[in-house]
Amino acid sequence: MESGILELYVLGDVNQDEKHQVEAMALQHPAIKAELESIEKSMELYAEIYAIEPSDDIRGQVLNSLITNLGDDRNLKSSHSSNQRAKVVELTQQKSVNFFKYAFAACLTLLILSVATLFAVYNKLKSANGELVTMQLQTQKFSNKVNLMDHQLDILRDPSFKIIKLDGTAKTPNAKLAVAWSPAKQKVMIDLGRMRLPANDDQHSYQLWALVDGKPVDLGVFNAADDSTGLLEMKSIARAQAFAVTLEQRGGVPSPTMANLVLVGKTE
Amino acid sequence: MAAEALYDMYSASLYGVIVRIVIDTAVAEDVLQESFVKIWQSFSSYSADKGRLFTWMVNIARNLSIDKIRSKDFKNQTKNQELENNVTFIDEQKNTVYKPELLGIRDLVQKLKPEQKSILDLVYFKGYTHVEAADELGVPLGTIKTRLRMAIQQLRKSFN
Repeated sequence: MESGILELYVLGDVNQDEKHQVEAMALQHPAIKAELESIEKSMELYAEIYAIEPSDDIRGQVLNSLITNLGDDRNLKSSHSSNQRAKVVELTQQKSVNFFKYAFAACLTLLILSVATLFAVYNKLKSANGELVTMQLQTQKFSNKVNLMDHQLDILRDPSFKIIKLDGTAKTPNAKLAVAWSPAKQKVMIDLGRMRLPANDDQHSYQLWALVDGKPVDLGVFNAADDSTGLLEMKSIARAQAFAVTLEQRGGVPSPTMANLVLVGKTE
Repeated sequence: MAAEALYDMYSASLYGVIVRIVIDTAVAEDVLQESFVKIWQSFSSYSADKGRLFTWMVNIARNLSIDKIRSKDFKNQTKNQELENNVTFIDEQKNTVYKPELLGIRDLVQKLKPEQKSILDLVYFKGYTHVEAADELGVPLGTIKTRLRMAIQQLRKSFN
């Protein structure tokens, strides 16, 4: 009692061991309990002397937070009526356990529903996105096609272009190719869409030649396939008496192999 | 309602302790609220044969206050004020409660020896442990304990 431990106990300045020790002693010795009580009363009064009234707003705020924290004040009342205490506390606990059970079940249900909904919405979004991409591609394809056709139409409308029809030789009587040539603009285009040539294989390609004063001039290579479309621009030439096509090694050769001549057409 | 009664009876005393520890009014109001919530929630762990209700409550409030001033974000905003001046500083600033029945006792408290009162206030109102108080004041531990005991005995004499 003389050591000051009781004072420190009341001031909350003891460790766990000391705390239990003091509490045990107080239970055994009424004198110690009375001493403690007196110290506690003094400190309570001391705190009251130095009390500071918190602002009125805080009162409502604190009381509200107590209500939202526990829902009611059953806990507090229960400790006043000591003989009922155990029973009431038990009820409250039961109630809160039940509450958490239901709350947990509700949360779980909600979670499952949310996940299912999310999944459905996600799938919808994915297929919508797919459709959108398809449509964008289609639009792109159309606009490309329109651009291309516009370009081709420009060439066909251009009066400086002459259309020269190349005919098959004895070897390939059915072959046909139209060459659009503008001497003024030095442009040579071939019409792959209406071309009639047997498809070439991987090792060969067709090569277009211009005959200028009896000499062959290379105008570039092209491929024939069943689904070829559009106009293909070849190398430029300003003067030519005739155009011819031979089948050559892939990539073309410097001078034509006359044995493989498949098409020929005069410019005049 | 029990909550209201509890608040009206003890909020000012608790707030007086809290505000002297944390100083800042807004922080003190937060701590007061936290204290009442904690008191409310852990009420089933209070037992009357272990001591008076107020002792239990003020220890909760003091511990929360100390936690607050030792927390990181609090340390950043603290303005340094001289320890010894805190209690008077606050008394000048805030509306201390004047209860007529306490007037006489207040005078008696003023009769505490300054070295007794400063230790009592360090521990009770500043949340110091007696070990920290010994460090702060440069006084041996035994002296601290004796002075605390004398201070409280003086109070008891005054209050009886």
